[in-house]
This record gives sequence, C-alpha cells and structure tokens, in this order.
Amino acid sequence: MKLLVKYNRVNIPITIVALLISSMGFYFIIHYALIHQLDKDLRIEQMEIMHYVKEKNALPETSNYKDQQIEFHLTSNDNIKTRFSTEDVFDKRENETESYRRLEFLVTANGKSYVAEVKKSQQETEDIVQLILIITLAVIIFLILILFIANRFLLASLWKPFHHTLEELKQFNLSSKNKLKLPQTDINEFKELNETARSMTQKVSNDYELLKNFTENASHEIQTPLAIIKNKIELLSQSENLTNTQIHSIQSISDAASRLSKLTQSLLLLAKIENHQFKNSENVNLSFVINHCIENFEELNALKNICIEKIITDDIFIEMNESLAEILVSNIIINAIKHNCPGGAIKIELDTGSLAVSNTGIPPQIHTSELFERFKKDSPSADSLGLGLSIVKTICDTYGFPVIYIYENGMHIIKVIFT
Amino acid sequence: MKILIIEDEKALSESIAMYLASQEYTCEIAGDYTTAIHKTEYNDYDCILLDITLPGGNGLKILERLKEDKKTDGVLIISAKNSLDDKIKGLNLGADDYLSKPFHLSELNARVAAIIRRKYFDGNSVLQFDNLRIDTQTRMVTIENNPVELTKKEYELLLYFVSNKRRLISKEAIAEHLWGSDMGGNFDFIYTHIKNLRKKLMDAGDADYIKSVYGMGYKFTGQ
Repeated sequence: MKLLVKYNRVNIPITIVALLISSMGFYFIIHYALIHQLDKDLRIEQMEIMHYVKEKNALPETSNYKDQQIEFHLTSNDNIKTRFSTEDVFDKRENETESYRRLEFLVTANGKSYVAEVKKSQQETEDIVQLILIITLAVIIFLILILFIANRFLLASLWKPFHHTLEELKQFNLSSKNKLKLPQTDINEFKELNETARSMTQKVSNDYELLKNFTENASHEIQTPLAIIKNKIELLSQSENLTNTQIHSIQSISDAASRLSKLTQSLLLLAKIENHQFKNSENVNLSFVINHCIENFEELNALKNICIEKIITDDIFIEMNESLAEILVSNIIINAIKHNCPGGAIKIELDTGSLAVSNTGIPPQIHTSELFERFKKDSPSADSLGLGLSIVKTICDTYGFPVIYIYENGMHIIKVIFT
Repeated sequence: MKILIIEDEKALSESIAMYLASQEYTCEIAGDYTTAIHKTEYNDYDCILLDITLPGGNGLKILERLKEDKKTDGVLIISAKNSLDDKIKGLNLGADDYLSKPFHLSELNARVAAIIRRKYFDGNSVLQFDNLRIDTQTRMVTIENNPVELTKKEYELLLYFVSNKRRLISKEAIAEHLWGSDMGGNFDFIYTHIKNLRKKLMDAGDADYIKSVYGMGYKFTGQ
C-alpha cells in the first residue's frame, strides 16, 4: 500500500468526522443563538404589552400576522408563570408544519386576569440554520477535495528525494564500483537516510572487495600446492620400474588432485558469475560459438561413435558476455557428450528464440530440475563434479534466460530460451 | 636454449626445471622480484616463465620492464589466478602465452617449445625426430618423404608428443591439451585416438613411435 493511500485512509475519515462533529456543534450553537434572539424579541413584545396595559388598563388588540401573533385568553388561574415554549403548527394553506416560539405570561387588566400569548414564527431561524448547514457541508467537501489534491502534489514533491535515493539504491551494483549519486535535500529525515545509505553502501563495497580478494587469494593459495602435487606426480611417473601398485597409487593421487583443482575453479567461476564480474556485454554470434564448439569435439564424438545432428540458424546474435557464452555452450555440449551412451545421438537446435540440446542416455533417476543444483548428480560416478549444469543455470539466471531440463521419448533435453 | 623460471614456490620451480632439463633446456631459477629483475637485465633468455604473484613485486612489472628495454625474450605467464583480466593484461603487455596453475609439465613444455619455435621462425619451423619431419608452418608431416595425412587433432597430438619426446604423458594431459575442458575422469576414448595416429604413422614408415605405458599414459620414443 502506498504511503499516500495509507495516510488518506486515516486522514480523510478523521477529517470528515471532525468536521461533521464541529458542524453539528456549530448548528446547535447557531440554533441556540437564534432562538435566544427570538426570545429577546418576545420579551420586548411582552414589555410593550405590559407597558400598554399599565398605561391604558386595557388589553391591546390582538394581532395575527404570519410572523407575529398576539392572543389573550381569560384565566382564573393567577399563578401562571412567564414561560417560553416551542410549538409546531400545521399550516393548511402551505400544507406543512411550521414551528413557532411562544411566550406566555399573565396580564391583569380591568381586574381580570388574562394569559397573553405571543408567538413568533421560527421559519426564518430554521432557514438561516439550514443555509448555514448547507454552506458548512459544501465547505467540508471542498476542503477535503482540496486537501486530497494538495496532499497528492505536495507529498509527491516532498518524497521526491526519497524516490531518487531509492532509485539510486536499486541501480547500485557492487561490481560496477559506481558511487551513489544522492540528491541534495534540506529535509533532515532524508539527509539522514542518504547518509546511512552512503555509509552502508561504502561498507558493503569494502566488504565485497575484501571477499573478492579473499576468494581469489584462496583460489590462488590452493592452486599452487595443487600444481606442486600434480607436477611432482608427473615427475614421479617418469621413473622406470614402477610396480603396478605404485602406478595405481600415482594415478589415484593425480585424479584426486585434478578433481580438487577443477572443483575450486568451478566454484570460483560460479562465484564470479554470481558477483557479476563478467560485465562486458557484446553482441555474440551464438551460431558461430556453437559451430566452433561442435567442431572442437567432432573427433571426440567420432571416437565415442556419437552422431551429431545440427539444426542451426546462421547469425543468431545474443547480447551477453562472450566468455560466458562460450562457457554456457561448451558446458551444455560437454554434458550431452559425457552422459551419452556409445553409439548414441546428439541433436543441437538453435533459432532466434532458443537453444535446445538433446541427447540419448540412461533415464534420469532423480527429478530433472534437481540436476541444476550444485553437486547433484544422476550417477554416483567420480567422473563428474556435478557443477556443469549449475554453471549453465547461473549464467542463464544472470541474463534472465529461462532454462529447462526435460526427459522425453528417451532423450535428455536442455533448452535455453532467450528473452 | 636458455630458460628463466621466475617462481617463488621452490618445489614448483624445481619440478619445472627438472622436466625442462630432460628436454635439453638450460634452466635458471629466480625466486623473487629483485633476483628476477637482476637476471633479466644482464642476461638474454629464449623463454621466461613468469609467475605474476611474487614476493617483492608484481610479475607484470617485470614484463613491462622487459618490453621497455626492447628485449625479445619469449614470455610465458604462469598464474594461479585464472582471471581473465590478468590474462588479457599480460597478453596486451606482450607476453606470448598464458598458463594457469595447476598445469601438466608436458603442457608447459609444449607451450615453451611453441614460443621458441615462433621466436626462431625462419630457422626452426621444421621439427625433426628420427625419420619423422613436421613442418609447423605448412602443418605438413612426412616420414622418409612419405606424406602422412592427419586430422587437425591428430596433428596437434603428434606435435604434443614430439615436443615431449621420450617423456611419459598422462591421458589426462592429452585430453586437456586437445579439448581443453573437463571431460571427466575416464580417458579411455584417448586410446582410440592414439590408435588411429599410431596406425597412420606406421603406414607411412615402419616405425612404431608411440609406446603405451600401462595404466598411466603414452611415451613418444624413437627406435
């Protein structure tokens, strides 16, 4: 959920409720004030009547206007107190109920007691209150609308440095060594964010550099002793008169040293691909790379009696690192040769959309997609490290190419889809 | 032929020297940067084996100085860092070849021989071994003037054998030399390959040059 949406979700209901409550309060206050004003008028009227009665000792004339009515009724009760009340009267002419404010009080004229009743229409008051209510509601709607739009634009401009920083962080690539280009801002929160991002990326870069050096150095330090082991074995095997047992031991040591060396090299390669250390991308002629690779293994296939079928479209160009393209192709093809059976077949198909290499071989014992995992091997033979296909997968992942491994009609098929 | 081995790992430089000596090369060893600079300044070598990581300085600096002094010594970089950057940098600086550790001594020897052949191009582009004659420029192979028709890989294999004559070459070294990749631990397919080459050589002359050594590999010998 966007911050603005979340903010609006809380802010707008609160604003509406607050404005509704305050407009209700406003309504009651205005209403009260207007009634109070009406009562004051009624009192003035009462005073005038009293004054008239006192002077003339007679009742004034009753009047019956729409906005003010005065009536007198004889009463025997002398205990009537002055009192205000509101009454609703149904007006037949206009077919609606009208509210009146009424004041009752006792007048004595000619020794007789009368209840004087002065009524004033509340219509005007109601109209004013209604008008005020409409204006208030309109103001509320207008205010919310303005707030909503203003928030939208204001927040967008306020968050600009944040989005800029976020974009920079997204673009941040350890292997490209580019420093973050963070925007200048006078907002403390964003300043702090930028500072933190800067120091964090700096630290990550340093750590990465250290790790990279460590990986390379470790690989260096391992390869040198391995070179010594292998070379000494080679010299040792030159000696005459070795017994069969000795030959066997020498061979085993040599094989183990080779495996160890290939293992570290493959793992280093995987780490390098994952760290995006193969940066240079160019338009690689994949058709050429594949043909070259097939040519390289041509005699090998002839020796193993493997028949190769090529359906390769010429001049297929793919945007990627050339070394990685070569590694990708040779790993897939070597895999097809290595896990083939004598007298088997390999089919290599390349078109604009995909590369598919299928080969004969024994049916897979484990799920084919698992074979992309590191050290997962179908056969427990020591011939294979189980890293070839994970290198293929890692390269494909780097470029976002989907890669699948299926077993169909007795054929192992590896398919890379170029997107 | 004089070779300088610049390598700080004593066990390694000794092995290299021992193997190369068997191929009639004279070897000198420099174990650190200063010795290497000193030796290259006062002597000329046919080929220099150069390790990049050295105590006291970077091996590439030695290469730079050699080129500054307009020396023509062949240079083969031996590096434990199988890194593309170093390789490109070294070759751009004028190194002749690049080999990453660990390597087979037979492979190293073949590379050194190739560098020296290129260096003395005019005089020495023909390799002679007993009756066998290889013209490395035209890639023509003859035995007693009978031409031998070889495929590309068979030619490479023969050249590899001749460069490492009378030494045992493991099947793994052959496989790596010809296909340069990890083909797994079973090199039985090499057998068929060797058999074909041997047959072609025997058809052209009557000598069987290739001896197989049980369980280990092959040896290229004269009669």
